[in-house]
Amino acid sequence: METPLQTGYEAISYYGHKPSSNIENREEKRLASPRASAAKELYFEAKSSVSIEFPYWYTRRWEELEGEIPIVRRGESLKAGFEHLTPVIYPGELLVMGKAGYLRGSYPMPWLSEAFFMAAEDKLYQEALNSGKLTADTFTTVGKGGGNVTGSSGNVISLAGKFGLRVEELPVLLEVAKKWYGKSVDDVGHRYEQLVPGYSEKEALMRSVICMFDSGYTLPQGREVINFYYPLQYGIDGIIRICEEGISDTAGYPDMDRIYFYTGVISMLKGIRSWISNYAEEANFLASIEKDEKQKNEYLDIAERLEWISTKPPRTFHDALQVIWIFHVAVLNEDAISGLSPGRIGQILYPYWKRDMEKGIIDRERTLELLECMRIKFTEIDCFASMGVVGGVLSGNTFNNLCIGGLKKDGTQAANELEMLILESGITCDTPQPTLSLLYDEKLPEEFLLKGVECTKIGTGYPAWVNNQVAMEFLLNNYGHEGMQIEEARAWAIGGCLETSPGSWMPLNLDGKIHWIPGGSAPATSVGVHFLSLPKLLEVVLFDGMDMRSGQRIFPSHGFDLKTYDELWKAFQTYFHRAVHVLTLTNNIQHDAWRKISPSLVNSMLKPDCLERGKDIGQMGSRYNTTFNVESCGTANLVNSLASLKKNVFDEKNFSLKDYQSAILANFGYKTAQETGSYSLLDQVATADYQNWKKIHKFSLEAPKFGNDDSYVDSIMAQWENWFCTMTHEFRSLYDQPLYACQISVSTHGPMGAVTLASPDGRLAGTTFSDGSMSASPGTDRNGPYALFESASCWNHSLSQNSQMNIKIHPSVVKGREGSRKFLELIRSYMRKGGFHVQFNIVDSRMLKQAQEEPEKYRSLLVRVAGFTQYWVELGKQIQDEVISRTEYEEL
Amino acid sequence: MEYSCKDCRFYLPVDVFKGLCKMEKTSITPDDLSCSKFERQPKCKFCTHYSVEKDFLGKCMGTTITSPDLNASKCDDFTWVHLN
Repeated sequence: METPLQTGYEAISYYGHKPSSNIENREEKRLASPRASAAKELYFEAKSSVSIEFPYWYTRRWEELEGEIPIVRRGESLKAGFEHLTPVIYPGELLVMGKAGYLRGSYPMPWLSEAFFMAAEDKLYQEALNSGKLTADTFTTVGKGGGNVTGSSGNVISLAGKFGLRVEELPVLLEVAKKWYGKSVDDVGHRYEQLVPGYSEKEALMRSVICMFDSGYTLPQGREVINFYYPLQYGIDGIIRICEEGISDTAGYPDMDRIYFYTGVISMLKGIRSWISNYAEEANFLASIEKDEKQKNEYLDIAERLEWISTKPPRTFHDALQVIWIFHVAVLNEDAISGLSPGRIGQILYPYWKRDMEKGIIDRERTLELLECMRIKFTEIDCFASMGVVGGVLSGNTFNNLCIGGLKKDGTQAANELEMLILESGITCDTPQPTLSLLYDEKLPEEFLLKGVECTKIGTGYPAWVNNQVAMEFLLNNYGHEGMQIEEARAWAIGGCLETSPGSWMPLNLDGKIHWIPGGSAPATSVGVHFLSLPKLLEVVLFDGMDMRSGQRIFPSHGFDLKTYDELWKAFQTYFHRAVHVLTLTNNIQHDAWRKISPSLVNSMLKPDCLERGKDIGQMGSRYNTTFNVESCGTANLVNSLASLKKNVFDEKNFSLKDYQSAILANFGYKTAQETGSYSLLDQVATADYQNWKKIHKFSLEAPKFGNDDSYVDSIMAQWENWFCTMTHEFRSLYDQPLYACQISVSTHGPMGAVTLASPDGRLAGTTFSDGSMSASPGTDRNGPYALFESASCWNHSLSQNSQMNIKIHPSVVKGREGSRKFLELIRSYMRKGGFHVQFNIVDSRMLKQAQEEPEKYRSLLVRVAGFTQYWVELGKQIQDEVISRTEYEEL
Repeated sequence: MEYSCKDCRFYLPVDVFKGLCKMEKTSITPDDLSCSKFERQPKCKFCTHYSVEKDFLGKCMGTTITSPDLNASKCDDFTWVHLN
């Protein structure tokens, strides 16, 4: 007999009353300009497409330069890639250029890894599978709609369930990929990581998906803030001159390693210069065949602008915005990157904009139109990577986070009129990219905060609300030893979806006046141990080192009898420590392979103080280098599980640990999520065996749950956080700096949940974990948002690079001006308690259910996942089910 | 010789399935047969240095592997093959 979950849970969980019978729409939003609307329509029609141009020319040049110094060879190869990219300009564009020759174009980078896009029967693919590199792919679901090319058809081949490749390009792609066999970052890193004592544990951790992926060759850069100062101040030819002077100053002297860096940068910049000029040429060509006078003039304007900025610094706001876009894409083209944040560009561009406004060169309407065009360009960004990375981590998103607010160098509030327009463009042109983060500070003006609320309310999921003071405290704690002081801590921004990243103030000289502009000042701030599944690790503790799903041993016996809660906690600490140890060492080796084979040149050139020091970011050329972390996933499920075991086994002795082991293996008498086809706990189906496990499941579900202001479980959260955030400092990165804690799930809570058996908190096998780290487990937060805030503030968030909280609110609750005020007070209360981050889905969950059934009717529906906003139809089912199951607040 | 739109210099790819005609502003597919306004796009298969190896694979100057459909408009060595 099959029965629905018999625990008082319903298909959708509500706090407060149930919503009215009709599905409530979000608040009406203002429309985008006709230009942006047309571009958005074209985007909706476009599929993710892969081109081979860049990897082909890169590899060809690389082979030609066999024996050359690696960083010089790299610069020449990047040059070859850039200068051979086919320019594509779409009608109506005001900002042009992109990663590859398609609207949503991207390309594989076989110099990082070549195995995963081989055919499944290929030897290389099988080798990767056996080593655990591809296990996460197997348990990942990719969205079936939107721009994903989920299956091959006609002359198009589907790669990783997302990208389309023309059939005529496949043979050369495979030939190019095979040239990197044994030479890619992945292969070289793998060869040497096996030298780490206990390496087999690393492969076991990957195969069991306790750890999700290696950052060294999957996404070696990103989760950082770009810095646009040098191209804005000096232009391309100005930077080349800086490099030429650097060569003259150091050639033949003991630190002459610098000449190779400068030589590589010069080559790369010449490639970028050609790339821009090729676009200018294309714009002139389009103008020559254009009959419409307005469009013709726009092409000519594009051509003139590109010709100018291909060598010189920008003259206007429009020029500067185009420069920013070009260098953003240029960085994305040197590595597989997610989470490259443009940072606080409203403050960077403000001096240009203000001057143009004063001169009457631009008005607000035109500014808004340009900002909408910028949103479309950012939304077009795709990142080519394996299914596990694209689906299981990124959900097709690339996390280009634009930050607003915060403080200026002098400590006064930094919001400005251009940032108000950035928010407005986020309302009128609601697209996933760039996502917005508002750096909340008590000094920010009310009008600005209410504008942020207005944007969040229409259901965009952005801006996320991030605590400026907490972030600065984290930065001073972690970068103080590298010289950071309070003034520079104010230059920070979010890198990626939610990674606190250090910045610096750079002196932009415009018409003889200095404007201190913020920008990123460190390489990727989130590489290292990615991600660790906390509930799965607890499962391995309960089974004394075994992964019972696969039957493989992960660790030797922990040696504890688990007779007390204290022993259970110590056993968990032991395994966690062991995992972090081996993963840190193997990741260090992979990143060492990356910096040797594929050193960053574009990003390095941009980051202070690489040009001054003549060193790339892999050689610690950046001002700040404490950038490796340990990322966790499934925090609420771990804490709730520990609370359940503490209460039911050790305190009240309702059940033995053996009872729990049996119940977990029996999945509390339910079918698995894979069997039911839903990954939400609320949709699971009981088997006839359910009665045997009903009692223990009921007790597990009713055990104290995080998010209800219950000290029993909140003290466990505090214990976990205080230990986790401290123990990470014991480990050293490749750059000999301590690691720190990072607590965002992105989308990993889907595939990581999929491989995890039932957990002691009552969660069932295969269901998606709770998202983020401060989000309650779906349906368990029954005392409202303020109780959730109390629970979440049981520890000091500045100990960690971040914490993440998602809340789902019914649209009716925040309607109107009064709703906005109420909403702002809610956010403010969490910030004042020291919460680091909160973000919102303002949506009726029933609409999401309907969208799951009729996706074709909801192409433009946006939802917030965990640090990013994405089109509903482009999310995998694991994540869709989890978003639906989150508690919906009907009252504040 | 029969050409398709993807071989035309007026073809603007949107994705792997479709594109726009730069002249007519119409939606077309890369595999559509070319029209009277067709002009060849420089591609490896139209270059004197290209030799066929097998389906969708060839060599440049007899040494370097390449794809017949690779855009060669930015290749310094590109030389139009003579059309009969």
